[in-house]
Amino acid sequence: MHSNTYTIVFMSIITILLGSFLSVANGTLKDIQDLNIENDSKKNILLSLGYYQDPADPWTSDDIKKIFDNNIDSYLLDINGNRINRDPQSVESNINEKSFPIYVDHEDGIVKGYAIPISGKGLWSTLYGFFAIEPDGLTAKGITFYAHKETPGLGGEVDKKWFQDNFSGKRFINDNGDLVGIKVIKGKADPMSMYEVDGISGATVTSKGLEKFLVNDLKKYETFFKNIREG
Amino acid sequence: MAIFDKKSKEALADPLMKNNPISLQVLGICSALAVTVQLNTAVVMTLAVVSVLSVSNTVISILRSMIPGKVRIIVQLSIIASLVILTDQILQAYMYDISKQLSVFVSLIITNCIVMGRAEAFAMQNTPGKSFLDGLGNGLGYGGILISVAFFRELLGSGSVYGYQVVPDSFYAAGYQNMGLMVLSPGAFIILGLIVWAHRIASGVEEE
Amino acid sequence: MEHYISILTKAIFIENILLAYFLGMCSFLAISKKVETSIGLGFAVIFVLTITAPANWVIHNFLLKKGALFWLNPDYGLDGSNTINLSFLNSIIFIAVIAAMVQLVEMTLDRFAPTLYISLGIFLPLIAVNCAILGGSMFLVEREYTFMESTVYGFGSGIGFFLAITSMAAIRHRIRYSNVPMQLRGVGITMLLTGLVSMAFMAFSGIDL
Repeated sequence: MHSNTYTIVFMSIITILLGSFLSVANGTLKDIQDLNIENDSKKNILLSLGYYQDPADPWTSDDIKKIFDNNIDSYLLDINGNRINRDPQSVESNINEKSFPIYVDHEDGIVKGYAIPISGKGLWSTLYGFFAIEPDGLTAKGITFYAHKETPGLGGEVDKKWFQDNFSGKRFINDNGDLVGIKVIKGKADPMSMYEVDGISGATVTSKGLEKFLVNDLKKYETFFKNIREG
Repeated sequence: MAIFDKKSKEALADPLMKNNPISLQVLGICSALAVTVQLNTAVVMTLAVVSVLSVSNTVISILRSMIPGKVRIIVQLSIIASLVILTDQILQAYMYDISKQLSVFVSLIITNCIVMGRAEAFAMQNTPGKSFLDGLGNGLGYGGILISVAFFRELLGSGSVYGYQVVPDSFYAAGYQNMGLMVLSPGAFIILGLIVWAHRIASGVEEE
Repeated sequence: MEHYISILTKAIFIENILLAYFLGMCSFLAISKKVETSIGLGFAVIFVLTITAPANWVIHNFLLKKGALFWLNPDYGLDGSNTINLSFLNSIIFIAVIAAMVQLVEMTLDRFAPTLYISLGIFLPLIAVNCAILGGSMFLVEREYTFMESTVYGFGSGIGFFLAITSMAAIRHRIRYSNVPMQLRGVGITMLLTGLVSMAFMAFSGIDL
């Protein structure tokens, strides 16, 4: 059949051809892919802050860029709530121990809200989202999730409007000024309580996981928001 | 023209009914179950598999006399893997939301037994033209089953078809609830089993 | 320690790679007719998964992922000026590693345990294209596991696969004398049975370790 030399030469040629083919493809498409990821994050930041997207006429890439550039300042904080002089390289920054991204929504110089990235373990996967906070530094403005692999219909309901709307107006700081987070209650929450929301039936692990990582992520920004609350 | 002779017609038409890759050749089941929660993901998956299958069959067929015997499987695998990666890259660029839902299952087309199976069984012994049709036929046969499963899973599990609410609100008000099981793995297995049963009755082929 | 037990339990029962993620179905359907071959294939899968998961972890973290080449030149790293991201080559490199590992396993078995090698027959090379093996590597990338987590995960997934395949073989052995309708035999009835077993395994999903 074919000799060994032929085999080696053939394999080398195939490897080089396929390798180049794939590298060219990746190189050409990379920018569009990165833009997609960036737009997805930005879209979710805007949604959590209360910007409305008409389902019949969703935002285009240009819409997202325009709204974001006009209204949102993004910067990094350190653990003491001080601004670090380095622009977040891309909106999908990972929170590490030292720097925490924050997105400030403002209009005509007045702060309308803050958004912070949140993430943590659900049942099947890690959930990634944004949590928005009112200018008072203690009330929730909104919450969105842009990546997770929870069970559709159960844990996956975290995507849904009914669940997310429940967070608006709830507080995560109690009257003593302690960070208590927002409790996701199994079943129905006490309608009088400022600190609870309804859980998702059949999705206790996801709900409890969310409660835990929300308060953990809020702890990272607590110094910053404490300063805001004290004026 | 060669395209319309008997063998070519068989190559294209057989996999749709008589020799369907899923119900009869029993290949490609893995992804058939995972991406059929909704119709839109099933449709995109079908398009991906049809493209990869037809192109890989054609390329392998063109190279069939040049591929050294010892490394046959590896060469086939490399060509298939490259095409799949290309498809994945295109999806991430132009259909980002759907690619998020499909996640690793697009990459798993590489190990989809249909693609390797047809490369070994058909493309290595036939001309590029016929191999292309064989790839197309098998891809469409696979897609047919996929879309049927997805149709039922989405309808029963979410009350919608292709994202459009089909079950009227009055049903929900009267107490109708979506069959949650359809959205989870057991539902997938069961619906697939029933559809394969129906398909075999329709195509008249029997298990030995 | 508990963390690893948690990953192990999840991989075997709650997120069983076959019953929950549908990976490995093709060989599952072909092999599960006889219990002996199922056991053999199950062991082979455990072995290959436990080896390829950490191997692919190393390759992903030091060669392919964004900024992985920092040890070559700091500029290529995450904070560098020219971050290199080769993760689009993930699937093809993983498959190559898997195929190479399977080849190694084959040669080792042939040399040290020839009877086992012969009884496994054609199934050993077929593992290379088993979705479960590639799937295992792809999942550990997606979930960003550490090295130890990946190894435990690979081992656990293998055991989960083994469990699923041998129990199905046992069930199919029992229904040989049942009156299954002609067109439902084979794939059809196996799917329905797998659906029921998968439902049973879902009972584990409430466990919180």
